[in-house]
Amino acid sequence: MLLDIRNLTIAKDTPTGRVNVLERVNLQINEAEIHTLVGESGSGKSLIARAIMGFLSSSWHIQADRLWFEEQDLLNLSAKQRREIIGVDVAMIFQDAKSYLDPNLTIGEQLQEAVLDQDLSGGFWNRRKQRKERVIQLLHRVGIKDHSAMIESYPHELSEGAAQKIMIASAIAHRPKLLIADEPTSTMEPATRQQIYRLLAQFHARHGMSILLISQDLGAIMKETERLTMIYSGQIMESGSTRELLDAPHHPYTEALLNTSLYQQAQRPPRSRLPTLAGTEPSMQHLPIGCRLGPRCAYARPKCVQTPDFTKKRDRGFACHYPLHLEDDA
Amino acid sequence: MSRYLLRQLSLLLVTLWLLTLLAFGLGHWFSGDFITNTSGIFPEDIRFADVAEARAAGADVFSQYSAYLSHLFRGDWGVSLLDGEPVFEQIALRFGATLEIALLAFILALLPGVPLGVIAALYFRKTIDHTILTLSLSGYSIPVFWFAQIAILVIAIHWGLVPISGQINPLYEITPRSGSIILDIFLEQPEHMGAALHSAFAHMVLPICILAIMPMMLIIRLMRNSMLDVLGQNFITSGYAKGLSTARVLWNHALPNAMQQVMRQLGTLISLLITNTMIIEVIFSWPGLGSWLVRSIYERDYPVIQGGLLVISALILLITIALNIFHAWRYPQVRKDLYAAS
Repeated sequence: MLLDIRNLTIAKDTPTGRVNVLERVNLQINEAEIHTLVGESGSGKSLIARAIMGFLSSSWHIQADRLWFEEQDLLNLSAKQRREIIGVDVAMIFQDAKSYLDPNLTIGEQLQEAVLDQDLSGGFWNRRKQRKERVIQLLHRVGIKDHSAMIESYPHELSEGAAQKIMIASAIAHRPKLLIADEPTSTMEPATRQQIYRLLAQFHARHGMSILLISQDLGAIMKETERLTMIYSGQIMESGSTRELLDAPHHPYTEALLNTSLYQQAQRPPRSRLPTLAGTEPSMQHLPIGCRLGPRCAYARPKCVQTPDFTKKRDRGFACHYPLHLEDDA
Repeated sequence: MSRYLLRQLSLLLVTLWLLTLLAFGLGHWFSGDFITNTSGIFPEDIRFADVAEARAAGADVFSQYSAYLSHLFRGDWGVSLLDGEPVFEQIALRFGATLEIALLAFILALLPGVPLGVIAALYFRKTIDHTILTLSLSGYSIPVFWFAQIAILVIAIHWGLVPISGQINPLYEITPRSGSIILDIFLEQPEHMGAALHSAFAHMVLPICILAIMPMMLIIRLMRNSMLDVLGQNFITSGYAKGLSTARVLWNHALPNAMQQVMRQLGTLISLLITNTMIIEVIFSWPGLGSWLVRSIYERDYPVIQGGLLVISALILLITIALNIFHAWRYPQVRKDLYAAS
């Protein structure tokens, strides 16, 4: 197990009291696995990523039974120790890649920063040269052939796709064991998105790098994804292997999402009503008690005001009192 | 970049030309005779007829303006109505003195101002931040002339630590050459050079420190705000994500970007500094442009007012444009903002 998160709760103090933005989140990522976390915007997907990276300021209250990376408890480490682990073994790429590049430094300078000292050999006099060579190598690996023009460029001269490639190049410079991709392609057109996904899949296949892909669109995830986790309003709804989860969702939320997919729509008679969940996602000030999907769930019953436990069945996990598509083997 | 340089250069030239128009116009608008106002020669003077002819008296405004311009470029800016000293030579002599304290005060303001602003931003809304902000606000709101007089009263008179006014003890007999007292001491090579330098520095300390206060406070506040702004940017997060240490993120990414925003404001800051320098020069009898100009305004010494206006405006203009060019050269994405294309 590369990353093991058990019952992670992240709370924030608001004028109306403390709100659990994330509630008892479970997430496990194995070595060399592509794991996709799907949820609507505001569901707390990015918060999980930020908690792993240690980017959250002290105004967030983090509690967890486990927040382990390679058997090391991240919550018990000092900020410095944590950065030593995270900085080398975990990398992150973001949505809106351009804004994550320093506007006043050339791409070459920024990539050089990402090169680890331990990858260089010899004295300081040829380190500069080595760094430059390594940067060119990195650029080639993300599919940028015209490296000399790219090294001299400033971020404002790049397209969004190119900027994301630079972010990937900078992320893989450390040969991380886990790459967290927080909606890396949401602002891109589909062709560019496929390019980026292909790149990520390549590094996954070649170096056994695990990827945690965060996406808000079930229709735009990597086809190589082995496992899916569905999050809704700060609660994990369901997780499992991609195939099984899509074929037979246990959780009403997953089913509702699938019903709105393009593929499902094509199956339906023309002019028929699109089956959507009633209502909208609750705001952080008015979270329902119990299962947060409750008020919108077609299958909700009185018991749903109690938070369902995250049940594990074989390779699947779900948090629902009345799961769907479950052969009664109890 | 060359296009940008050209644009800035044309801006400079056009503004300078407008300045000469204004100065020329002043000669007409001031009460009294135009020739006397621009040349400083009274009608009773023997030379008046020659001067009037050279400056195209009685001719149309255009030939008067061209005569004025040719005098301007030849360095013949007229003489003072009060003491008959040639204006251009006086400016050349006093300019150095003004620049000396203004420049030193500016450096003195930057050195602690930038780090203090950064510290305040890093300890946002903690005690250190509040302390620095309170100090900077009070330092900013106290008028400079009041500060100067209190400082003279306490430090120079009551404690007797430094001289009250002037540039140097006249015993050292330094002939003014460049106006800058330190430079003049080196040019003069007096017998007791160490002692002369010591005296010059002792005279300088108080005006420079007081002059530095206001820009320093402004720089602290500017630096803090822009640093706070930059620290919230995404590329700071990605710097940490790369595994860089806090020091490297601050030094390589936060500071240069924060400085960029401060740099934009430095132009206004410098014109404020120059205005304050004039006040300080009067209080400390510093033989610079400011005290001379204030006196001339008081005495309606029109040739001097014209010359001083020209020089000080040109100085501020030059500094602003130099800063603009440096800013565009140092921060490439600015050039893009200026044209919306590279």
